[in-house]
Amino acid sequence: MNYGFVIDNRKCIGCHACTVACKAEHDVPLGVNRTWVKYVEKGSFPDTRRLFSVLRCNHCEDAPCVTICPVTALFTRQDGIVDFDPNRCIGCKACMQACPYDALYIDPRTHTAAKCNFCAHRVEVGLEPPCAVVCPEHAIIAGDLDDPSTEIARLVQIERTTVRKPEKGTRPKVFYIEGERAALVPGETDTEEAYVWSQGREPGVEPRAPAPGAPGRLDDRSWARVQSVMGSKAASARRTYDAGQTHRDSWGWKVSAYLWTKSVAAGCLMLAPFLWGWGNPPYEARLRMAALALSLIFLAATGVLLVGDLKRPGRFLWVLTRPQWRSWLTRGSYILLGFGAAAAGLAAAEWLGLPRLWNLLAAPAVALGAAGAVYTAFLFWQAKGRDLWQSPLLPLHLLVQALTAGLAAMVLVKAALPAPLPLDAGGFLETWLWRALALDTALVLLELLAIHPTEDAARAARWALSGPRGAWLAGGALMAGRLAPMALLYLGHPAASAAAAALALAGLAAYEHLYVRAGQSVALS
Amino acid sequence: MSGRSAAGFRPGLVERLFRRLQGKPPLVVPPMPPRGPLSLYPPVDSWDHWEEYDAAAWPRRVKRTYTLVPTACFNCEAACGLLAYVDKETGRIRRFEGNPLHPGSRGRNCAKGPATINQIDDPERILHPLRRAGRRGEERWERVSWDEALDDIAGRIRKALKEGRHNEIMYHVGRPGHERYIERVLKSWGIDGHNSHTNVCSASARLGYQLWTGSDRPSPDHANARLILLLSSHLETGHYFNPHAQRIMEGKMRGARLVVIDPRLSNTASMADDWLPSRPGSEAALLLAMARVILEEDLLDRRFVERWVNWRQCLRAEHPGDPETFDGFLIRIRERYAAFTPEMAEAESGVPAADIVRIAREIARAGSAFAAHIWRGAASGNLGGWQVARALQFLSVLVGAVGTPGGTSPAAWNKFSPKLFAEPPAQTFWNELLFPREYPLGHYEMSFLLPHFLLEGRGRLDVYFTRVYNPVWTNPDGFTWIEALSDESKVGCHVALTPTWSETALYADYVLPMGHAGERHDIQSQETHAGVWFSFRQPVLRAAAERAGRKTTFTHETNPGEVWEEDEFWIELSWRIDPDGSLGVRRWFESPYRPGAKVTVEEYYRWIFENAVPGLPEAAQALGMTPLEYMRRFGAFEVRRGVYALHESPVPSDQLEGAEADPATGVVRRAGTAIGVLVDGVARRGFDTPSRKLEIHSAMMKDWKWPELAMPGYTRSHVHHETIDPSRGELLLLPTFRLPTMIHTRSGNAKWLNEISHRNPVLIHTSDAARLAVRTGDLVRVTTEIGFFVNRVYVTEGIRPGVVACSHHMGRWRTSEKGGSRWAAALVSIQRSPEGVWRMRHQSGIEPFDSDDPDSSRIWWREPGVHQNITFPVHPDPVSGMHCWHQKVRVERARPDDRYGDIEVDTRRSMEVYRRWLAMARPAPGPAGLRRPLWLARPVRPAPETFKVPEDAASPDT
Repeated sequence: MNYGFVIDNRKCIGCHACTVACKAEHDVPLGVNRTWVKYVEKGSFPDTRRLFSVLRCNHCEDAPCVTICPVTALFTRQDGIVDFDPNRCIGCKACMQACPYDALYIDPRTHTAAKCNFCAHRVEVGLEPPCAVVCPEHAIIAGDLDDPSTEIARLVQIERTTVRKPEKGTRPKVFYIEGERAALVPGETDTEEAYVWSQGREPGVEPRAPAPGAPGRLDDRSWARVQSVMGSKAASARRTYDAGQTHRDSWGWKVSAYLWTKSVAAGCLMLAPFLWGWGNPPYEARLRMAALALSLIFLAATGVLLVGDLKRPGRFLWVLTRPQWRSWLTRGSYILLGFGAAAAGLAAAEWLGLPRLWNLLAAPAVALGAAGAVYTAFLFWQAKGRDLWQSPLLPLHLLVQALTAGLAAMVLVKAALPAPLPLDAGGFLETWLWRALALDTALVLLELLAIHPTEDAARAARWALSGPRGAWLAGGALMAGRLAPMALLYLGHPAASAAAAALALAGLAAYEHLYVRAGQSVALS
Repeated sequence: MSGRSAAGFRPGLVERLFRRLQGKPPLVVPPMPPRGPLSLYPPVDSWDHWEEYDAAAWPRRVKRTYTLVPTACFNCEAACGLLAYVDKETGRIRRFEGNPLHPGSRGRNCAKGPATINQIDDPERILHPLRRAGRRGEERWERVSWDEALDDIAGRIRKALKEGRHNEIMYHVGRPGHERYIERVLKSWGIDGHNSHTNVCSASARLGYQLWTGSDRPSPDHANARLILLLSSHLETGHYFNPHAQRIMEGKMRGARLVVIDPRLSNTASMADDWLPSRPGSEAALLLAMARVILEEDLLDRRFVERWVNWRQCLRAEHPGDPETFDGFLIRIRERYAAFTPEMAEAESGVPAADIVRIAREIARAGSAFAAHIWRGAASGNLGGWQVARALQFLSVLVGAVGTPGGTSPAAWNKFSPKLFAEPPAQTFWNELLFPREYPLGHYEMSFLLPHFLLEGRGRLDVYFTRVYNPVWTNPDGFTWIEALSDESKVGCHVALTPTWSETALYADYVLPMGHAGERHDIQSQETHAGVWFSFRQPVLRAAAERAGRKTTFTHETNPGEVWEEDEFWIELSWRIDPDGSLGVRRWFESPYRPGAKVTVEEYYRWIFENAVPGLPEAAQALGMTPLEYMRRFGAFEVRRGVYALHESPVPSDQLEGAEADPATGVVRRAGTAIGVLVDGVARRGFDTPSRKLEIHSAMMKDWKWPELAMPGYTRSHVHHETIDPSRGELLLLPTFRLPTMIHTRSGNAKWLNEISHRNPVLIHTSDAARLAVRTGDLVRVTTEIGFFVNRVYVTEGIRPGVVACSHHMGRWRTSEKGGSRWAAALVSIQRSPEGVWRMRHQSGIEPFDSDDPDSSRIWWREPGVHQNITFPVHPDPVSGMHCWHQKVRVERARPDDRYGDIEVDTRRSMEVYRRWLAMARPAPGPAGLRRPLWLARPVRPAPETFKVPEDAASPDT
């Protein structure tokens, strides 16, 4: 048994009955939708056509939301329905990043994730979902794809069907008859501030104020601009109605801050054994102690941010007690747990003067530090909805960022300690910070400027590079946050090095924030 | 955890370990029940007790039990079936789905069907009778008891009836949603007081169809058509959206081609194989050019036209010297339409001549399976719009697609009209506020001119009921309505019967809350296809209570608050008008089952089901039920199916006794009434026209002073393209179109519908936008003959250049925090300058608010849309009486002080426009001194003698 939907666009008239029937069945609150209809218009008058698309959960054979969910709140039933349990959800919103189809939202009543669940509660009493029941045109066909006698199985066999984003490898089970690219590929049309019958849903958008300028005609130049804008719009497909369910920034500043604090924590932990003297003269003990303390403090901050970003923070322990092992959120949590233990062990060894414990823990600590830095890359890879985050450079980049952050932190600590340090091996920290920054800069440029494997990844990168964000990126993250500190480090003056370290840390934070936002800037539907 | 789990998730090792550590019992995963294919509805035999899982508790399997009660939707006129899920535990309606046993809607609905639950649960709805406590329109209300309200209103009516002021009582209805109920009530009072919304809706289409077929509506058989031609948007709205949309697409999937004529890319046009975006007002020319192609190329169904068109009468009237041969008629008719060349039609309509010829040939190829429909659209927009409907029906007639499978039948064939338990005699009054002499052929009441008539001093109203009717908002010239309704010397007592707040209710003396769908009784039948059915709208909580063995006497016992149903209101009111029976009113409200006792609403319908529905008593008996039980259980009944070619059926021999055939025309009359027509020597039923044939020539038009319009033709619209100069910012505004999610102002309280659509920008073509230098989202000022409104534009390639369009529905308003739906209505200020210029300005848009429904605090939209109708003057078509909606407007960029939603209207100019249009009419009397042709339909038809214009009466002062 394998349930799925066919949306027959030969018959769909875009009436929104399915949207309302679904709201009625689940009492879906205002502001969120389990299913909705998008309108796209194509062509110039009089060869204009409007395309209707019913959008919803695809009940994927290989559902990325199920894979990423850390607590089994999302699961695939034996009958192929991807269902969810709000009583298990911790509100981490990872599923919203994983789903390439924009199917999930956070229910404002329970603060847990929700989506179309094929009305599993009705299926179990033998009824079709109400969207299929209500449809005046029988354009939504629900049923068992495995049973050759069903209408849906026949349609999928006989008619040419298409699915949304097949390249994601999720094997979606909502099949469109006459599904057109302009309607099903979100990037084909821009999202708008307002649609023909509804306001847009971008946060903070209020009805636009009257256009400035005197009544009557525009001057020639402005008119030419208006015409050119309109001309290009008229020629391409336009999104004219949408529920505006774009879910931009479901991961906000807390997630970008978490990346940063985690980088500092991991970097400091990885550095500590080197400061002990691996291959180098050992450093001043206060520096080592500071590295471990900073690692623990920033790890704690990381934890606070992670829990704070949950919509149900009270349930944070469930990641550990109800683990779903395929999720890198779960794996990452256990890694951070081990990380904390290693850091604490090293600190104890340092404090109590137990060199054998030190030696025993040093290698695992470096490994856990590296794992703590890198695992987020695998988590981001599981966020299949976000093309920018699928970059193969990401693990390396996170590792380099962690080392940069750790080195910068140590340079700052060094500056704070009464100088000169008795044991300072000839600018080891500064040298390596310079190298790390150089590598990081290269990686940043590669991430954003390289040829992107998908159109959406390129779109996300363009988003990061355009407008005020581009200025931030170039001026802030790159110039002030990377190139300037490299120059300052070159001066070799302690105060300049400290300033360089501070700038580098700020530059890292700025880039993380931009990267997290850019990944989510592309509409999923 | 990987792979598929059973019905629920499967807890992993770590979780099981932690549960054990915490001392919790192990999680049990329920196995998935074995299943066959899914079904759309619970089986009918489980409707009394239906168990399903609570969606909110899922995936915990919490069982809830429901009783499923069928009723009918009350949003648009289609009366689609609904099935209410009444929770047995809470006693509340959980949701509405479709009624699978309903022959029209077949278990499916549009968005408005399931949104009915919003209307029922609306925290803003009116739950108690209210009486005005301040000035009219001031919005100070006090709660009154139903008894007080009923006694006061009944006392006024009783006094008026006793004083012979029958014409001062008027009932004005928007959405009737019933069959003949109110007709009986008004007749029992002896008054001519039925007013409707028809003339702002469909009067012109009605006249066009009436002239041809004697039935004022078409019933296309879309499902069996080979070509469907729509001048309407039946895939998203219309008279009857959901049932027709189903059958149009059914026909299309079977291979029918769909052709849509519409200046705007409606969703319907977008689904069409051919979209012909003609200039508004040119449609009749376009259709007549198609007719010309069919005539010139001899593609017509000669046998059908020869047998069923009144061509002999046409020749006699128009070409008296000609021999009466069919070929001679064809020569004459070709001559008559020779001017409608495809090139001429292209010049008028902008549709390429080649397309016109091609579509005409396709229509001919479809032949008897050519289904066509116009309802509002072009017919309602234009001066002479009724000629569009007439030209469309001309095509159906030419290709013999009348009464055929896949063709178009007269609506009367497919509509059930019940006989009632006691029929009061026709009233002997003629109310000239409804049927003034200027519009003897109007279809029907000149409803939208009521305030103008009152302000002109043509009469006054003592008691004025508005029911589910919102003329201040919906009708043109709303400020003139406000002026008339605010004047207590013109309207003595205004009673608003409404389920929800409306702009009109703000100007009432009593606001009496009435039930939504599922809170009242009605029966309704519509011509959705080639069959006959009716549906039973019933108060579902009352029906559920009765199923559970709790007897109820009145529907308001189970309705929320003190919400009544209209049926019981009218019984109660009528009884109080005539408590002792001395006025002769009371006896019509005595039970047919319990002599002398007040009829109950249950008895009223029981009598119809037992006595007036062929086949129902037998169907009920077969199931061991009474007819009433049958209808309560199933909610709908199919009276006939496969209704075709009724015109061919021979007049039953018993009716032919004493009948005579007119030797000249073949019309068979019995006791002066036409009952059929001789065709091929057989007396056949024919059509309900005076000639009993399809009338290409209308003697009535000639006799009633419109000889130049006796045959289908092309009337230049008041917004003909030559009168509009786009280079001066002049454009044609198309203000009538609707959205699939909304229905006039009644859906404003449905939150899910509002969430989907809540603004109505002015649609403008890219080229026009460039000329005005506006982009999507910019504000424009749209100036009409009497004022202006300020709205945003939406630039699109989906509209004809030179035309702008603004959807109906949105732009609702309220003037205070009380009274008005905050889901949909902006808070506005209204001012009137000393010179009489009205100004309205938004004080705030839509904002979240606190209520019993937490969703009201989650409202995320702010734009309420802009009220456009209030800036339109009245445009009564001189023949049909239809308000011609299209407007010639000037569109310009908003001026510096203009704000979104601003409105300004000068009602003095409104009156000037009114008088100008009134002067175009050709008033009664017609032949024999009549006010109106006797054969022509008239709602709540008065006694025949009242049709005569009184000898002594002066002609109306125009």
